[in-house]
Amino acid sequence: MTNKLINPTRASEIVKNSIAKRRAKDNRLKLYGRIAIGFAVCFLIFLFSSIFIKGYPGFFQYYVTLDINFDRERIDPQGDLSDNSLFNGEASKIVNEALFTIIDPKGRKAKKQAKKMVSSGKDVRLTNLVKSNPNLFGTISSVKFALDDDIDSFLRGYIKRETPESERRISDQIIKFVDKLDKEGRISYEFSDYILNGSASGNPEMAGIKGAFFGSILTLSVCLLIAFPLGVATAVYLEEVAKKNKITELIEVNINNLAAVPSVVFGIMGLAIFISIFGMPRSIPLVGGMVLALMTLPTIIISSRAAIRAVPPSVRDAAYGIGASKLQVIFHHVIPLAMPGMLTGTIIGMAQALGETAPLLMIGMVAFIVDVPNSVMDPGTVLPVQIFMWADFAERMFIQKTSAAIIILLGFLISMNAFAIYLRKKLERRW
Amino acid sequence: MINEENDFRKLDLTVGDVFSKDARLKARNVNVFYGNNKAIDNVTIDIGNKEVISFIGPSGCGKSTFLRCFNRMNDTIDTCRVEGKITLEDENIYDRKIDVVPLRARIGMVFQKPNPFPKSIYDNVAYGPRIHGLCENKDHLDGIVEQSLKRAGLWEEVNDRLLSAGTGLSGGQQQRLCIARAIAVSPEVILMDEPCSALDPIATAKIEELIHELGNEYSIVIVTHSMQQAARVSKRTAYFHLGKLIEVGKTKNIFTRPKHSQTEAYISGKIG
Repeated sequence: MTNKLINPTRASEIVKNSIAKRRAKDNRLKLYGRIAIGFAVCFLIFLFSSIFIKGYPGFFQYYVTLDINFDRERIDPQGDLSDNSLFNGEASKIVNEALFTIIDPKGRKAKKQAKKMVSSGKDVRLTNLVKSNPNLFGTISSVKFALDDDIDSFLRGYIKRETPESERRISDQIIKFVDKLDKEGRISYEFSDYILNGSASGNPEMAGIKGAFFGSILTLSVCLLIAFPLGVATAVYLEEVAKKNKITELIEVNINNLAAVPSVVFGIMGLAIFISIFGMPRSIPLVGGMVLALMTLPTIIISSRAAIRAVPPSVRDAAYGIGASKLQVIFHHVIPLAMPGMLTGTIIGMAQALGETAPLLMIGMVAFIVDVPNSVMDPGTVLPVQIFMWADFAERMFIQKTSAAIIILLGFLISMNAFAIYLRKKLERRW
Repeated sequence: MINEENDFRKLDLTVGDVFSKDARLKARNVNVFYGNNKAIDNVTIDIGNKEVISFIGPSGCGKSTFLRCFNRMNDTIDTCRVEGKITLEDENIYDRKIDVVPLRARIGMVFQKPNPFPKSIYDNVAYGPRIHGLCENKDHLDGIVEQSLKRAGLWEEVNDRLLSAGTGLSGGQQQRLCIARAIAVSPEVILMDEPCSALDPIATAKIEELIHELGNEYSIVIVTHSMQQAARVSKRTAYFHLGKLIEVGKTKNIFTRPKHSQTEAYISGKIG
C-alpha cells in the first residue's frame, strides 16, 4: 500500500502557501460585511434625516395675533358659558372684526376673502378661551389664531408670489393683506397646538393626531390583552403539555403559516366574523384590537416557544425531580425564565401591530372621526391610518403634517421598545 | 405472601444476590424502551433500607435509564416506555393510581450536572418544602433549610449568604446544594446520577464523604463511572452491561471476586 500521507515538511509548505489566500478571503468577507453595514447605516441615516427634515416643520405653523374685544354680551349672550350660549354668540364675527381693523378690506369681495384668512376654527378657539378663563370678559386682549393653510403654504414659500394669480391658490388681494399683517408684526411662526391636540379635520391647519394617538393606544391595549396571554398559553401548552404527535405537528405548521399570511387577510376575516357575524360596530378599537391580536398571535407564539425551548432542561429535571407538578414547573420555573424572550416576541408583535394599516381599513377604522375615542367602543382611527389618510389629501400643508405624524409614530414605537427593553432587563435574572 | 423467588420470571443472566432482606425498593422484570429500542432488559433487583448501592457499567449500558425508573423521571420523555414492576413498600409505583408528585417527594434525585434553580440558596432548598406544604411557618422553614444545608455539609460555607444566587457557588458547592434540596423534602431514597462526574477531585471527595454519612439515614442509589468511587462509597454494587444486569453483590466481592466473566473483564479494564 502506498503512503497517501504527505511528508510533514511538504505539508507545512503547502499550508504556508495557502495562508495568504485564506487571509485574503477572511479580509474580503470582513470588507463585504462592513460595506453591507455601511449601506444599511447610510439608508437609515438618509431615511431618518429626510423624515425629520420634512416632518419638523409640520410641528410648527403660522399664527396671526389679533386684538380681541371680549364683549360678554356678544360672545356669551345668555351669560352662563353654556355650549348653547357660546354657540349662539358671535365669536367668529368678533374675530373677523378684529382682523378687519388691521387690514381694512374695502368692498364685499375683499371682506369675504379676508374672512377666510383665519382658520375656521377661530370661533371654537375663542369660546374655549373664555370657557377656561372667564376673566377675559370685558378686556381687550391679543389672541393668536391659526392662519388658513393656503396662507401658511404661501408664507413657507410653497405658493410663489411670482405665479400668475389665476394659477395660484390665493389671490393678490390676500397677499396684500398678508403683507400688511406681516408689516405690523402680527404674523408669527410657532409650535402648533393643533398637531398634538387636534383630531382629524378637513382643514389642514387644524388637523392633529390626538384622536388617532388615543385610538392607537386603545387598539394596542386590546391587542396586547388578548394576544399576550393567549399566545403565551398556547406556547406553554404546545411546548410543555401537549404530546408530540400528528395533531400538534399540524397545529405547529399552521401557526407558522399564519405568521406569513398578509395582514389584510386578517382584516377581511375580522370584517366577516366580528362585524358581519357577531354584529359588532365598525371602526371601533375593540374590533381593531382583536384583528391585530389575531395577526400578532403567531409572532408571539413562535417567539414564546423558542424562549421556552431555551429554558435549560436541567431546570425542569430539577423541579420534576423534587416532585413539582407540571403546573408548578411551568409557573415557577419555565415561564419566569422564558419571560424575557416572550416579551421580546410580544414587543415585535406589538410594533408590527402599531404600524399596521391594511387590516384596519377593512374594518372601517379609516373613517373620518373628529372626536377622541374615550373607550374601546367609540369609533376611532389609529396613527398609521391617519397618516395614510393625510397622505391622500391634496393640500400642501398635509404633507408636513403627514411627516410630523410619522415622527410621532416613530417616537411612539421607540418609546414602546425602550419600555420593553427596560422591562426585559428588569425581569432577566442576574444569575 | 407470594414467594419472593417465584414472583418473577426466571433470570437468565444475573448472578449474585439481587435480593435484600430489608428491601425498600423492589424492581421486578423491568424493561425500558425508547421507541422500539430496548434500553433495559429484564432487570430485577432490590434496594435495601439505608443501603448505599452503586450501579456501574460502561457508557450506554442503561444504568442511568434504570435509575430514572425509580422516581419515574422517564415519564418526562415522550418516547420512553417502562414495563415490569417497581414497588416501594409493596406499592407498585407504576400503578395507575400512583401520582408521581408524592412519589418524587419520597424518592429524591441528584443529577449529573449540578442544576440549582436560578434562585437564591435559601429558595433552592426551601422550594421542595414549599411546594409540598411541609413547613408550618417561616421559622420552621428556616429550620428545614438550615438542617438540610448542615446535612449536606454546606451550612458553614454559605450561612452568611443564603440570599445570594445558588448558581454563583462553585461546582462542588452547587452539587451539595442540590443534595440539600433533595434532603429538604425528607425523602426515603436518594437517587444520584453520576453526581461527581462534573466535579474536581476535592469536591468529589467531599461529596463521597457526604454520601457515606447520608447512607445512615437514607437509601442511596448512585450511578457512577468510577469504579474507585463505587468501591469507596457503596456496600453493594450492581454491574450493568448493554441493558442487562450482569451481577449484583457486596462491593468487596464484586471487585475482588467477580463471579461473572463480563464483570471481571470490566473491573480489570478489558471493556468499558
